[in-house]
Amino acid sequence: MSNAMTETTLAGAPEAARAPLSARFAALWAAAGVRCAVPVVVLLAAGFLAPLIAIFAYSFAPPRSFDVFRAFSLANYAELFSPDNTVWLSFAWSIGFALVTCALLAVISYPIAYGMVFLFGRWSSLVSVLFVFPLFVSENVRLYGWVLFFIKNGVLDGSLKWLGLGGAPEVLYTPGAILAGMVYTYLPFMLFPLTLGLSMVPRDLIDAARDLGANRFQIWREVEVPLAMPGILIGMLLTFVLAIGAVSEAKILGGQSVIVISHDIEIAFTYAQNWPLGSALAVLVTAFIGALTLAVFARLDLDRLLGRR
Amino acid sequence: MTMNRRSVLKGMAAGGLALAASPFAGARSAFAAREKDLNILCWEGYNSAQVLDPFRKAHGATVKAESLTNDPTMINRLRAGETNVWDLINVNNPWARKVMYPEKLIRPLPRETFEPYFDKMLPQFKPPYKWAMDDSGTELLGMCQRFGPYSFVVNTKKIDRKTAEDVGWDLFNDPKLAGRYGILESDDWNVFGLFVVAGIDPFKKHTPDEMAKFEETAKRVFKGAKLIGDIAAMNQALISGEIDLHLTGGTYSVSPARADGYPEMRGITPLRGPMAGGKGGIAWIEVTSLVNNPQLSPLAETFLKYVQQPEVAHTVAFAEGTYNPVTQMGNPDCFKLFTKTELEAIQWDSLEEDMARCVEYDIVPDYDQALDIMTAAKRVRG
Repeated sequence: MSNAMTETTLAGAPEAARAPLSARFAALWAAAGVRCAVPVVVLLAAGFLAPLIAIFAYSFAPPRSFDVFRAFSLANYAELFSPDNTVWLSFAWSIGFALVTCALLAVISYPIAYGMVFLFGRWSSLVSVLFVFPLFVSENVRLYGWVLFFIKNGVLDGSLKWLGLGGAPEVLYTPGAILAGMVYTYLPFMLFPLTLGLSMVPRDLIDAARDLGANRFQIWREVEVPLAMPGILIGMLLTFVLAIGAVSEAKILGGQSVIVISHDIEIAFTYAQNWPLGSALAVLVTAFIGALTLAVFARLDLDRLLGRR
Repeated sequence: MTMNRRSVLKGMAAGGLALAASPFAGARSAFAAREKDLNILCWEGYNSAQVLDPFRKAHGATVKAESLTNDPTMINRLRAGETNVWDLINVNNPWARKVMYPEKLIRPLPRETFEPYFDKMLPQFKPPYKWAMDDSGTELLGMCQRFGPYSFVVNTKKIDRKTAEDVGWDLFNDPKLAGRYGILESDDWNVFGLFVVAGIDPFKKHTPDEMAKFEETAKRVFKGAKLIGDIAAMNQALISGEIDLHLTGGTYSVSPARADGYPEMRGITPLRGPMAGGKGGIAWIEVTSLVNNPQLSPLAETFLKYVQQPEVAHTVAFAEGTYNPVTQMGNPDCFKLFTKTELEAIQWDSLEEDMARCVEYDIVPDYDQALDIMTAAKRVRG
């Protein structure tokens, strides 16, 4: 039976290849799945692909022009790669912040995720809600809240002075404040994939490892981390992608003590009115993130992660 | 058919135009019935419910207003083809006369209908008012309402007003004040301010030496800034004591803090400076014009008349966000609506003398180059 089906399929394939284009399209259209997918395809094309195409095309327009699709120029890329251009500093800050944020969040989130999966029991739902709850408040509002907390004569400084403790150290408007803001903002985006990853580690394997004489470190290194790796990687990727595009932390908490790459793109599209240059920057950032994402997903088995096999 | 770069570009062009046109497809078909539609591109304030709701109710109109916070973006929206979308554009003074009318992005107003409104404005706006007219002085290009001096802001408890006005922009050259000032995130105005701090008139073509001086000043001033941020961040930092003064600011930016009970925060107009006539301050005046829309809404002119009414002009002056003087304060019926607190918030006590010390906002011929230098200076401050 199975062989017969295979033969039929194989015999049918060249037939289909020889069929006229309209017939092949009609056959494709006849499939209910394809027809049902049309709204999604249209939505993705209009909402996702169209802006990307526009940005990509703009990056090849002459600088400070709106001649998109009408002229072709590599001048924007030439300017970005010019040795005189300091935009690499913004790239370096953004990548640096994103890497450090990722690393710190992995270290901070792992014990919390471990607790939520293995230790907190029925309280883990409550802990989840506590971490999700701040997401209901706008990021900018939360960051302004931190400014009010840390600002001179603000909540912390004022309280310490009132207690006669001499006031708080100056932390606002520094790269350190930006990093702290990013760690705070992106914590849930690392925590929940990590929790998912750790929940995939069978308890039996940990018990078996312990029975066979493995110590706590060996269990962590040989069992927990490898099995939770898909979740760890997804968390790190998600955090990195979000953090590299972050701008509010640098603006609000950092007082623009450094200019991050998203801010450079924003300046190009607003005050500079150099849409082609802003687009070229956006294309470079997108290409960098895209390459990174592909590299990570090449190492991931999503089907396994989502429990399909 | 052979594929080459030209054919690919043509294909991209067709696709791109189709994509670009799609969001406005619905809007175009609706142009046939625009009697009840009005679209306004403006600075914040005109988009507030306090200003728009009574108009919507009175005319049964659908009014859409988009607010942006810099002029070049708004002008380029029209250049990019959105003259089909907007009916009114509200930008600062030079753009109507020097850019938008010559580029046919706006159309003149009927002078006989609208010029009489200027008669009731404050004395310096009496017709024919330069920035409302075209170069030939025959066409009326827009209506004026909000205006104000815009140089820098100090906490007068830390630096008294007299000192600030006398020392002027050199405050930002004083090494002792490094780390005690902020810079408002308003890059086009910061270009003006940094030129003036460097002792150079911003509104002219600059020599390489002047640009080098500008670059040195930009790097030094940005390096010495405690923070760069928006109006809320500047006022918060002033009130908390994080900073004592900030570059680029005036009634527009500091009025919310003054209205909140901090009258010691004050927009300063220096006594002298490197600009024409030895003036030390820069002022802005908004001009609202009719967009050269092929299907212009008849409500556009109606709206311009509506905002001239004393009550509405007062609402515009105190619409959400920032508080500003309005030209209609020359009309006693409008002026009497302002309370003492409101007049204090907009620094009415010194408005006339401050404006007299100001040149009017103009276009910097080499703005692109200066902005690039300034952006690079910001990058290296970290």
